Amino acid sequence: MSAKPIVQVENVTHVYSRGNVTALDDVSVTINRGEIVGLIGQNGSGKTTLVKHLNSLLKPTKGRVLIDGEDTEKQSVQAMSAKVGYVYQNPNHQLFARTVQDELEFGPRNLKVDEAEIEARREEAIEFFGLEEMRDLHPYRIGFPLRKLVGMASIFTMRPDIFILDEPTTGQDNITTQRVYKLIHRLRENGHTVICVAHDMILLAEVVDRLLVMRDAHLIADDTPRKVFAMREVMESTHLAPPQITQLSLNLKKGKVVLSVDEMLKELKS
Amino acid sequence: MQGIAVPISVVPGNSPIHRINPIPKMVWVLGILVISFITRNPVILGGVFLLGLLFVTIAQIWPSYLRVVMVLFPISLTLILLQSIAPAFPQPWTPIVAVGPFTIWQEGIYSGLSLLLRIMCMTTFAMVMIMTSHPSDIFASMQKVGLPYTMNFILTMTLQLIPILQSEFNTVLKAQKSRGLKGTGFAAILPSMVPVFVGAIERVQQLSISLESRAFGSSGQKTSYRQVQFGFKDALVLAAGALFSGAMTYWLLVDKTLDWSRTLTFSPAFALILFFGAGIGFLLFIAFALRLVLTA
Ligand SMILES: Nc1ncnc2c1ncn2[C@@H]1O[C@H](COP(=O)(O)OP(=O)(O)O)[C@@H](O)[C@H]1O
Ligand SMILES: [Mg+2]
Repeated sequence: MSAKPIVQVENVTHVYSRGNVTALDDVSVTINRGEIVGLIGQNGSGKTTLVKHLNSLLKPTKGRVLIDGEDTEKQSVQAMSAKVGYVYQNPNHQLFARTVQDELEFGPRNLKVDEAEIEARREEAIEFFGLEEMRDLHPYRIGFPLRKLVGMASIFTMRPDIFILDEPTTGQDNITTQRVYKLIHRLRENGHTVICVAHDMILLAEVVDRLLVMRDAHLIADDTPRKVFAMREVMESTHLAPPQITQLSLNLKKGKVVLSVDEMLKELKS
Repeated sequence: MQGIAVPISVVPGNSPIHRINPIPKMVWVLGILVISFITRNPVILGGVFLLGLLFVTIAQIWPSYLRVVMVLFPISLTLILLQSIAPAFPQPWTPIVAVGPFTIWQEGIYSGLSLLLRIMCMTTFAMVMIMTSHPSDIFASMQKVGLPYTMNFILTMTLQLIPILQSEFNTVLKAQKSRGLKGTGFAAILPSMVPVFVGAIERVQQLSISLESRAFGSSGQKTSYRQVQFGFKDALVLAAGALFSGAMTYWLLVDKTLDWSRTLTFSPAFALILFFGAGIGFLLFIAFALRLVLTA
């Protein structure tokens, strides 16, 4: 894992012209290649707005965003899509093809991937996300959790360097949540950079190396999950609760902060 | 994104026209509709059009109004072009000047200009009405006048569907771009049409379910959350609208000298300038629209 910055957000402010809402206020953050980063914060704190800047869907009102050293200002969303894959928070805003299969092929075909490779990627994605039974169905005809997986799969087939997941586990059942875990682990193995917006602290405690916290358009913390969960004020002011096992270890006030039951067991045995 | 979107919906404001009840405004729109259809006289239509622009100014909706006119612009230009060489007018036609294989006709210019003015009159007044009345107010007033509930619902939903479709369109376009769709002219727009309409139908289905679960169409006396007033001023505007359109209609029907189709003559120079101006304008517009789509 080389420590070369792949995402550089420099003093970015974003004001939505509709309603004159300042959704980001002077936010700066640098993310290195291969990092798995979590982004948390209450609804409306600006998480989606921040990540939409990374693939140029939104442009900064002030400041600049560099992806792999290139300013997104002059880049179109289309050009960015090869490098940055954004999985929408709402799959209804992302899916448009007539069948699940078409949906998976749309991205790589636009990137001029050759047909044999497109087919291979499609089959792999169908297998990986468990979409075999619905490959010929209209994305609108399948349930919400699976529709969200189709959204992820449609970006997965594009193989972008940077993978942005916007609340991948919100509203998901256990089986689909497991697929999201599997996806993030797989992306980590393959050296992708992942930015995951989530409210699911257990997921984050398990998979991310680094946690960013947003509140009211500001980035208020940036550290390992272990350290962030221990920042009582930060957590309370954003109304976020660490996983219960972490809370327990924090309240015990001795030994180290644990992130999982396994860690707690190890800690207790020693 | 804002470049393509044409919001044909209410423009928030508090101008004198915003404050008028929707019914008198509708009477005006209907009256203008009748006037526009019974006369082809360019001066009268021009006058009505100017009156409309005055209302646009009072309502302070110029930016939104201009965006709508922009859409009508290429249609207007083709209208002039086609009418000049093939008038929608009873024969015989009087030739003015020949352009290659085509002849520009006296009646063609007259008919093109008057059709254009007709469209402008009707759109201007309709836009003033739509952009200054909240859909819920329109709904509530129509209810008061006694329009059947279902009919009224269909009418207001249609008005609200336009902005919904537009935002849906933008959403899909963005989704496709974020998966690398390269925009080249209309080819970029076309693939988004299917999902936009599928999305719209999906939305309508959901709407009907949520309507029924909230007792849509149940019988009994209905009250409205939004209260619309009908005051003295509204009555005055209504009376003015009815009187104006009534008097104009009577005058236009009775006074046969207002038909200038055979007496108003256009010089060859004027005809040529108009014809080529429209042609060049149309080509420029296409080039401009293509650039907009390509860079969107
Ligand atoms: N398209 C938009 N137009 C205007 N305001 C918006 C838009 N999208 C989001 N906002 C506002 O910006 C703020 C941040 O929203 P968002 O980034 O979606 O937050 P989060 O993803 O953390 O829930 C909110 O106050 C929201 O209402
Ligand atoms: Mg969000």
